[in-house]
Amino acid sequence: MLGHIKAGFRRMLGLHHPGRNLLVYPDDVFIVSYPKSGNTWTRFLIANLLHPEIQTDFGNINELIPDPEALSKRKMDAMPRPRVIKSHQYFDPRYPKVVYIVRDPRDVAVSQYHFHRKRRMIEDNFPIERFVTRFVAGATSPYASWGENVGSWLATRYQASTFLFLRYEDLVSETIPELSRLVSFLGRNPDPVLLAQAAERSSADQMRKLENAQSGLWSSTRKTRQDVPFVRSAKAGGWKSELPKNSVAELEAAWGSLMTSLGYELASDEKSSTQGFRFTASVLGGAAR
Amino acid sequence: MIYRVKQVLKYLAGTDIAGRTMAVYPDDTFIVSYPRSGNTWTRFLIANLLHPEEPATFFNIERWVPDSEAQSSRYLKRVPRPRVIKSHQYFDHRFKRIVYIVRDPRDVALSYYDFQRKYRQIHDEYPLTRYVSDFVAGRLSSASWGTWRENVGSWISARGGQSGFLLLRYEDMIADTESELSKVAVFLGVNATPQTLSQTVQRSSAERLRSLEKIQGEQWVSTKNKRSDIPFVRTAVAGGWRTKLPESSVSEIETAWAPLMVKLGYELVTISVGYTPEALATGLQRERR
Repeated sequence: MLGHIKAGFRRMLGLHHPGRNLLVYPDDVFIVSYPKSGNTWTRFLIANLLHPEIQTDFGNINELIPDPEALSKRKMDAMPRPRVIKSHQYFDPRYPKVVYIVRDPRDVAVSQYHFHRKRRMIEDNFPIERFVTRFVAGATSPYASWGENVGSWLATRYQASTFLFLRYEDLVSETIPELSRLVSFLGRNPDPVLLAQAAERSSADQMRKLENAQSGLWSSTRKTRQDVPFVRSAKAGGWKSELPKNSVAELEAAWGSLMTSLGYELASDEKSSTQGFRFTASVLGGAAR
Repeated sequence: MIYRVKQVLKYLAGTDIAGRTMAVYPDDTFIVSYPRSGNTWTRFLIANLLHPEEPATFFNIERWVPDSEAQSSRYLKRVPRPRVIKSHQYFDHRFKRIVYIVRDPRDVALSYYDFQRKYRQIHDEYPLTRYVSDFVAGRLSSASWGTWRENVGSWISARGGQSGFLLLRYEDMIADTESELSKVAVFLGVNATPQTLSQTVQRSSAERLRSLEKIQGEQWVSTKNKRSDIPFVRTAVAGGWRTKLPESSVSEIETAWAPLMVKLGYELVTISVGYTPEALATGLQRERR
């Protein structure tokens, strides 16, 4: 009861983190992805583009591209507009304009496994197979399962003019062209010099250096294990060496058709994913029919 | 500020409307649909199925299948478990057992138009064609449900075909109520005899609901203080749009939501070629470039 009253007062003063209950303004743009899908990198890319006068770092990122899970409601509501906001939420109809980043779930699972080690949520010897089973069930994240999160956005907004769909893998291999699409979507002119500068300032090497110097400043890395980095490999396809075969099969059994339609080639012969993911795949028009 | 204090006091007292922030229990079952898609009828069917000892009315329905968007948090917490709860929410990952009802959006638009007149949210002279444009764009005075595509798409993409998700079409329920009801009975784990099924259907018929609405409409939470010259229980038929919806409006809906409508078996009349998977795949690649 005491906790309830305390929460009530924090709420009254606007000191709570708004999270999913964020007050949304009509000129907001949201950078949305499932966790561990390149969201932080994309935030750096955009921040460095929109604010070339300063170097984006872990100390100022929350001022530039705010995170409603880390800032108070009061602060979020008072941000200069138009806001570009970070989010991991699954579909929310109030979000007016959305950049959605999707990443191969096999890599997402590996990345989240290490992230949970970093946050001391699992031990180093926690079997990755067991983690993947929980990952597939959506039990490792408050943002639903990977398939639910991705599917909920694609089935509702895909092909809308207010929705930009990006793949992490394309961002890695074609950073400048993809970033240029993103900038146009934000209504800015893609200036080649600024694009190159933003990519340079947001490179994995640069972000690793910043993390080494500033991890105590940032809400997502503060009080976590310093021997496990937040900025990890920044590569596509790491699952091929890190994930056991049966875990790969488990992920593909759950979401195979959706993965195929997103261009993620399956390693197993699994084709039997659920009706819902086949449905999303068919709305996307991928190979699964 | 006064408003916020009031909200906090309501929250502390538990008299805030439950809505999306409601506490969800693992044994809850949710009856979910977009508004005007047969949700109330389904509530009556389920209440009559689960409580054959007392026919469902607009008085006891809030006890047996409470409306999470009309009742308070405190009220919902006191409903005996396992609860069966009515909702119009778009995808919420906390819901584990869901009966989802989908209805042809061309009929939903017509029904919603009358409903919003009943609620005095639009005037009688409001042009239907303009209303349909609002409906397609999600500009409704009760907009927190997302658009029809967003609501339906978010659920089917995330949960379609999984064991905790029963998808019903309103049109199938109209065509063969008992057969669809028996699916619900199996889903809810109720052993229903043919007699129970037919009694349940009778007790939930449109005629019975209409006569109940006449007597009880002024007391029911969803109809009290609303215009009594427009009924809540409307035609209860499928396909009214064929005669009542202007062709331009039909076309507007079909153009906006063709892939999802086709997927659900709603025949298009203004678009000759559906969206073939190939065409969509090309679209996806184009968007990626």
